Amino acid sequence: MKSVTYFLLCILCGSAIEVQAQEIVLKDSGFVSQLEDGRVLQQPVRTNGIDTLLVDEPVNNIIILSDDNSDSYTFLEGQLGEDEDFAGTTAMVSSNDDYFLSEVGYLFSPMRFRVRAYNSQYNNVYVNGALMNDAERGTFSYGMIGGLNEATRNKEGASYLEHNGFGVGSVGGANNINMRASQYAAGHKASLVGCNRNYLARAMYTYSTGLMQNGWAFTGSASYRWANEGVIEGTFYNSFGYFLAAEKKIDDRHSISVATWGSPTERAQQAAATEEAYWLAGSHYYNSNWGYQGGKKRNARVVNSFEPAAVVTWDFQINDKAKLTTSLFGKYSNYSTTALGWNGNASDPRPNYYKNLPSAVYDVWDLDYTPTESEYADYMATYNYWVASKANRQINWDYMYFANSQANAMGGECLYYVERRHNDQFALNLASTLNVDFDKNNKGTFGINIGTTKGMHYKTMSDLMGAEKYTDIDKFSVEEYGTNSDFIQNDVDNPNRRIKEGDVFGYDYDINVNKANLFYQHNFSKGIMNLFLGTHVEATTMERYGNMRNGRAMEFSKGSSGTAFFLGGGVKMGVVLPFNAHNTVTFGWGYENRAPLAYNSFVAPRIRNNFVEGLTNEQLLNAEASYKFSFGSVTAKITGYCAMFNELVEQNAFYNDQQSEFTYLTMTGVDKVHYGLEAAVVYNITSSLAVNAVAAVGNAEYWGDVQGYLISETDKEGSSQKVYMDGVKVDGTPLTALSLGVDYNVKGWYLSANVNYYDNIYIDASSYTRLEKVVGNMEIDASTGKVDYNIPAQYKAKGGFMVDASIGKSISLRGGKKLNINLSLNNILNNQNLVTGGYEQNRDDGYWNKDGDNYVKDEKEKTYKFSKNPYLYYASAFNAYLNVGLRF
Amino acid sequence: MKTIRYISAFLFLLFAMTSCMNNFEAPELNDVPYGNNTIGEANKTIADLKTKYASVVRSNGYEQITDDIIIEGVVVANDETGNVYKQLVINDETGAIIIGVNDVGMYAVMPVGQRVRMNCKGLYIGGYGSLVQIGTKYYNEKYTEYQIGRMSKFDFLQHIRLIGKADSTQKELIPLEITEEYLANKANKDLAPVYVKLKNVSFAEADGKRLYAPEEEQISETNTAVERNVYVGSQKVIFRLSTYADFANDKMPKGSFDVTGVLTRYRNPGSNSDSKDYWQFLLSSTDDIIPITE
Repeated sequence: MKSVTYFLLCILCGSAIEVQAQEIVLKDSGFVSQLEDGRVLQQPVRTNGIDTLLVDEPVNNIIILSDDNSDSYTFLEGQLGEDEDFAGTTAMVSSNDDYFLSEVGYLFSPMRFRVRAYNSQYNNVYVNGALMNDAERGTFSYGMIGGLNEATRNKEGASYLEHNGFGVGSVGGANNINMRASQYAAGHKASLVGCNRNYLARAMYTYSTGLMQNGWAFTGSASYRWANEGVIEGTFYNSFGYFLAAEKKIDDRHSISVATWGSPTERAQQAAATEEAYWLAGSHYYNSNWGYQGGKKRNARVVNSFEPAAVVTWDFQINDKAKLTTSLFGKYSNYSTTALGWNGNASDPRPNYYKNLPSAVYDVWDLDYTPTESEYADYMATYNYWVASKANRQINWDYMYFANSQANAMGGECLYYVERRHNDQFALNLASTLNVDFDKNNKGTFGINIGTTKGMHYKTMSDLMGAEKYTDIDKFSVEEYGTNSDFIQNDVDNPNRRIKEGDVFGYDYDINVNKANLFYQHNFSKGIMNLFLGTHVEATTMERYGNMRNGRAMEFSKGSSGTAFFLGGGVKMGVVLPFNAHNTVTFGWGYENRAPLAYNSFVAPRIRNNFVEGLTNEQLLNAEASYKFSFGSVTAKITGYCAMFNELVEQNAFYNDQQSEFTYLTMTGVDKVHYGLEAAVVYNITSSLAVNAVAAVGNAEYWGDVQGYLISETDKEGSSQKVYMDGVKVDGTPLTALSLGVDYNVKGWYLSANVNYYDNIYIDASSYTRLEKVVGNMEIDASTGKVDYNIPAQYKAKGGFMVDASIGKSISLRGGKKLNINLSLNNILNNQNLVTGGYEQNRDDGYWNKDGDNYVKDEKEKTYKFSKNPYLYYASAFNAYLNVGLRF
Repeated sequence: MKTIRYISAFLFLLFAMTSCMNNFEAPELNDVPYGNNTIGEANKTIADLKTKYASVVRSNGYEQITDDIIIEGVVVANDETGNVYKQLVINDETGAIIIGVNDVGMYAVMPVGQRVRMNCKGLYIGGYGSLVQIGTKYYNEKYTEYQIGRMSKFDFLQHIRLIGKADSTQKELIPLEITEEYLANKANKDLAPVYVKLKNVSFAEADGKRLYAPEEEQISETNTAVERNVYVGSQKVIFRLSTYADFANDKMPKGSFDVTGVLTRYRNPGSNSDSKDYWQFLLSSTDDIIPITE
């Protein structure tokens, strides 16, 4: 019986999802298989004589090769840097001869590996010495240089404990992109890429004059990346990139350079989904973001970004021992994401909204439960609807247009629309760096970096979808405060404003951040021995400025929040001690005290000026040691590190479906610890053949429970509660990544292949479901005296292997021309079961009843188990990337 | 110079290609993008259907409809404000009937005034409080027996067809004006639901300050309705209002008004006494309450 069941399951699940059934139970209701990790996949089969197991269209056939997210309704601003073709989005890179750091960024990029699991806000990216990181969120937006691979090729990097000549580096290291026109190799470079990823084709052309006799240098680059439909169904990619630079060498001591660049991009996004939805769709690359409109595919989540930037640099060689570099960097970012909106009591249009799923009909997770006949029939009706056609599991745009036309006919309000959430930013950064060689052993870098940032956050009406009337009120507040109350107004000064396409509505506020830092780095070296010292002080101010008076926060939404001031700084040192020419030990430590991010510092930034209570500086303590040796043709380095992050502030914003409220949960006093080992070994067997091994084995987790502050956009005030985060792992990166590779090099041919193994992959844990009030059921165990908190376990994905290879050939042509051809093959074994990340649902399984102003948890549970249905992203299936480049 | 020409040609080409990919015009909707457009003409009136299953309904039983019965009517009450929840009421010239569907936001495509056709074959019909409803059977754990309940949204999609667009001028939207005598006649209760207008009535509880359905006044912790009473002469009609309705926290009008909605009945299933057989009123929206100005 078991084998029959397994066979049936395989048919249903198709080859795309390999179900490793450990135990399969035959029940009256059908087959239920329990996976090794306790998850259950269910497939009802009628046992009362009627065989309805096989649906008309076998699920296998639904798997289309072209198949490939708090969302959900929540902010997806976290995806600002998600442009995946930047392998190094979140990897810290060092240019020093560190094989590990220079390899892992690319090597592990298919799994979105982050070195030491650090947040990318701890990696500073500079251009000609001026800081480009977003002061609000802390991170560098790689979308800003999208497609400009040639223009950003000249870069130097330094890890945290290495000296660099340009600026402060945090624990994630620092990079400096050199955009001086004279630094590009003279000549033409053209390349074409064909691949099956986010985009399908890329063209790039770069031309540089080099430094000409008249002291001028010019460089220009342009690129275009395109996909009418990327490898993920329903996505498209349309991105142009330009780069123009000029430099004038005035004399031997002075040189002025200017560069401007931008990358206007329009691209459609992919969404995470639950395992159940993937199962119903027959693919781990199901994308719920798109649907048919008049027979054409339309994606609801489209990113538009254009961040034009410019940098002006004055290089001043004061004398042969001192050089002063001064740069002014400026950018004006336009970044927006569209999202579906629904008004009044219209139903949630997302196809995979939980109420539309079979497991919302009866509790499929309770293996002892036998569904009633009617539950069973409803389950099958739902299941059959999902598998009957592809359109059924995608957004139904025609339905929404029809609903709006019905509303028009009756003089009603718009029901469905597309809104555009804008995160625009104007930033200026002035940096001046003085590099001095004191003597042959001592050098120092002094610098100052001053920045100002204005972040503009608002939403506009992108598409009313044919509707004639939309009024700017908060639909979630209507039931609570009544239809005539001021509380429901998003803009009390302009009540019941009628919104047309393009109008700002909902919220509109600015976040102003100013930063100034002063730093000094000193480096002493003698032979291989090296001593490095670094220190900096930093001042930060931040302010929210509301442009709307919101009805739920009439006194606290319009105008200035007042300005908060933070003073921070850091010290660090690193020592390289050689035992002999073949054995070197490096160790170092650092301490940093920095302002919290403005992004996390306001309790409900869309509507309120209130700062998070008890905002303090965040503290970072880092120590590491490494041992490097070379023995014959083997070189190896092993590093141990430990970093502690204290007093962090973190915020989650999400739509609380249970209470119909847009909710913010801010955690203060967050402590985290990251520790682990990194190792790299290279064995050069012959001059053309090398074997290498790379390992990153670490842990990164919350250390202790934290204080949370929960407030929704319909609340007049929030509540402070404990959040049980102790032991929750840092997500979105494998904490274990291992690689074994071989490189072969002969007659202009270059071959490499790697087998990679990833494990300890966690997804974003919901802070909401770990809230004191949500956890509930706190019992004291009589025997041990310990409190049993019943805290949900964090979802841990299964580890797995991935095999990558690349082959390339470099051909010299007549006239000094050079042709490069490279083919990269990723995930050759086509492992479609590797989770790269995802998030738990911000909703618990209980019912909540309102008691006065509080919600009280009911003993009864919801049928649908949010706790067992996390949203997951899977690593790309087998894909290829062919690059042909010509230099002439 | 040649280089510059190449570069400008390349740039021009790129700009030309970088045109917007995400422009969508409103689709032409020849077929209604909802329900089952293959359902044929109506072959029974709503009254026919109610009569056929009258005894099942009265005894709070349920029965599967096995005949090819297709009814047609106009939506007279829906879930627009959230007071009517997971139900629709459709009305033809012979009467009205409640359809229970496990879905929300149905008013988006079925506003009051939308003509619909329903293929009843395979669905269940039965009584709850002796009030007729089409849906499916469901197992009531409390009474350990099957009862009439709401059908799955996906079943509903197979059985419903929308005819034309919403139109507020249809004759099915003309309510029956109800008098004290009508309400006093117990036999009329078996006709419920009826699309009606009550004239010149007022809420007994209204004082100009009290709200329609505040949470503090809900019947019990688990019953989130508030009861408000209206008298037509000596006859009481109970308005059961949901604390989740959009208007729940709006003030009730103090004076008299005319109100349009669905007159229903609730007959206590445990009792044979007619004294526990009530007239109730299903209010779709407070827009249906028209104050009488003096």
